[in-house]
Amino acid sequence: MIVIMKMGADESQVQETIKRIKDLGFNTHLSKGENRTVIGVIGDVSSIDESDVERLRATPYIEQVVRVSKPYKLVSRDFNQENTIIDVEGVEIGGKKIVVMAGPCTVENKEQIVSIAKEVKSSGATILRGGAFKPRTAPKDFQGLGEEGLKFLLAAKEETGLPICTEVMDTRDVKLVAKYADILQVGTRNMQNYALLKELGKCDKPVLLKRGMWATLKEFLSAAEYILAGGNDKVMLCERGIRTFSDFTRNTLDLSIVPVLKAESHLPVIVDPSHGTGRRDIVKPMALAAIACGADGVTVEAHTDPQKAISDADQTISTADLHGLMGEIKYISRMFGREI
Amino acid sequence: MIVIMKAKAEEEDIHRVVDTIESLGLRTQLNLGAERVVVAVIGDISKIGEDNFFRIRAMKGVENTIFVSKPYKLVSKDFKKEQTVIDVEGVKIGGKKLVVFAGPCSVENREQIMEVAEKIKKAGASMIRGGAFKPRTSPKDFQGLGEEGLKLLYEAKEETGLPIVTEIMDARDVQLLSEYADILQVGTRNMQNYTLLKELGKCDKPVLLKRGMWATMAEFLGAAEYIMNGGNENVILCERGIRTFSDYSRNTLDLSIIPAIKDESHLPIISDPSHGTGKRSLVLPMSKASVACGADGLLIETHPDPDRAISDADQTISLSAFSKLMEDVKQIAKAVGREL
Repeated sequence: MIVIMKMGADESQVQETIKRIKDLGFNTHLSKGENRTVIGVIGDVSSIDESDVERLRATPYIEQVVRVSKPYKLVSRDFNQENTIIDVEGVEIGGKKIVVMAGPCTVENKEQIVSIAKEVKSSGATILRGGAFKPRTAPKDFQGLGEEGLKFLLAAKEETGLPICTEVMDTRDVKLVAKYADILQVGTRNMQNYALLKELGKCDKPVLLKRGMWATLKEFLSAAEYILAGGNDKVMLCERGIRTFSDFTRNTLDLSIVPVLKAESHLPVIVDPSHGTGRRDIVKPMALAAIACGADGVTVEAHTDPQKAISDADQTISTADLHGLMGEIKYISRMFGREI
Repeated sequence: MIVIMKAKAEEEDIHRVVDTIESLGLRTQLNLGAERVVVAVIGDISKIGEDNFFRIRAMKGVENTIFVSKPYKLVSKDFKKEQTVIDVEGVKIGGKKLVVFAGPCSVENREQIMEVAEKIKKAGASMIRGGAFKPRTSPKDFQGLGEEGLKLLYEAKEETGLPIVTEIMDARDVQLLSEYADILQVGTRNMQNYTLLKELGKCDKPVLLKRGMWATMAEFLGAAEYIMNGGNENVILCERGIRTFSDYSRNTLDLSIIPAIKDESHLPIISDPSHGTGKRSLVLPMSKASVACGADGLLIETHPDPDRAISDADQTISLSAFSKLMEDVKQIAKAVGREL
C-alpha cells in the first residue's frame, strides 16, 4: 500500500502519518520527491482493515492511499496456478470441454420444461437452465413457480439426464434449491448480497456467480472470494453485460473481461450473451465471440416458442436456433483445440 | 413521431401541440387512452427537425416526444440492401475477405515506419496505419510529425504497396492529407466534429469513422450519415470501445455493435481492439472475438519495439506478436466463412 501526502504537507504531518501506520503493525518506507512525500507501507497489507484505509484517506493532508495488493486471494491465479475444473454430474466445466447451458428464462409448467429439456439435450447442450425463483423488476411481474418449478426441473432432469442450473435469491432458500439443483446461480442483482454469498460458501453445490451489472473486475472477483472463503471452491464466473449509456442493447456485453478473468483467476468463465445483449438476433454472433476470446462456456435462453415465453421473450432464441448455434460452437471450439 | 401528453394535460395543451405540428405542414391523429392522450404525427417527419422536436417536448402538458423513424437514411439497410464494398487501391473492404490495418500509433521516423511496413506486409496486412496528426489528451504531449509524417508514410507505401490509413483532425487539412493517404480516419474525439464530417463528405477519399467513446448507435450512424449526405459514400465504421465505469481496460470494447450494425447498415464495420482494450495482452483474444461476431476487419497498433513507442505503448503489440495474430485470426475467419 502507498500513502501519498499532499503537496505542502509538513514534516510533523509526515511523522504523524508514519506513526499511525506503525500503530497498525506495519513498517514504512519514506520516499521524498521534489514536490511531495510518498510513504510505502511494508508488511502483509491484506490484513489491513478497509476502514483503516478509509481513515487514512480522509486525513486532510493525505492526497491518496493506493492499495497495491489485490483485495482477493483464493480466487487468484497467484494462489492456484491450475485451472479449476468443476464436475457437475459428469459434466466438466473449466477443462478442455466447452459447456453450453440452455433453457427458458422461467420454468412455466411441467410440459414446457420437459419439452425444452429434450430439445436442449438433442442439440448437444449439456446443462439445463431455468428459473423457479425470479428476480423481476416490478413486484407485479410473475415471480416464478418456486418449489413447484424446482420439481418440474427435476422431472426434466430425470427425463433427459441434464443437470440443472437455477437461481437462488434468498439465504433461506439455499437448502431447498440445493436439494433439486446441481448448480446454484447467483443473479446479477445479488452479486453483492453478502449474506447469500456467505450461505453459498457453506454449501456443497457449485455456484454460477453472475457479474453485477455495476461491478468492476475487482468487485466481481471479491464477490467470488466470499464464496471461496466460506469453504466452497466450486465457483464459475459469468459475464452477463454491464450498464452503460449505450442503448441499442439491453446491457453492454463486456467480453474483454473473459481473457482478463482467465489470466487473473483459476475459476471457469461463462458468458451469457442472452442477457448481455437482450436481443435474440445477436445471441449467436456474441456466443461465438465469447468462445473465440476464451470463455469456458455460454449460457443461453432458449424456448420452444420464444414468442410465448413468459419472460425475456426478446432475448430468447428458439430451440431450433439452438441446434444451429450448437453446430457453430462445435466448429469454432475445435479451432481452439476445445470440444463440446 | 409520437407526442405523449401528461396524464393531467388540459384540452388546450393538446390543441396547442396539434396546432404547432400542423403549422409545420404535418397531420396529426389523436389517440385517446384511458389515462392520457397520445398525438401521432403523420407525414414527412424530416420536416420537423431536431429543434422543433425539442420545442414540442418542452411544451406545457407534454410528457415526452419519441422519434419513430430513424435519424439516418443513407447509411441504413432500408435504403440500400446490398453490403457496401469499398475498393481502396485493390483492397476490398466489406467483402468476404477481411482487412487488417496495422501500424504504429504515431509515425516516428523513417526507419521505424519502413520496418513496420515491411513486416506487416509479410504477415499479410492489407494496409498500413500510422498517425501524423495526433489528438493527444495533453497539449504538451507529442502532436505528431505532420506533413513530414505523411511523406514517410508515402515512402513506406512506395516500398511495400500498402495503402495508407491516417487520421485527419482539421477540416483545413483534408486536401493535404488526400494527397498522401488512401483512407482518411476520423478519430473518436471528432466523431461529432460536423464541420470536419461535412468537409469529408465533399472529398473523394474513403473515410474510416471511429465511434465516439460516448456515442450511441444512432449517434454513430448519424455521424456517418453526415459524410454520405455530402456525397461521399465510401464510409467504413469502426468500433473502438466506449467509456464505462469498468476500469480494468482503457475502454469497454462494445463488440455487440458489430452484428447490430450489420443488421442496420450496409456499411463495412471493423474493430479496433488496441484502443478498445488499451492492453497488449487483450489484443489477440479480442481480435479473434471481433472476427467471430462478424467484423469486416481489424485495426491493430504494432511497433518494432512497443516498449519504446512514443505513444500508446501499453496497447501496442510487437511485430512478431502481430504475425502470430494474423495466423490465429485466419483460423477464426475460416470458421465463420470468411478469408484473410
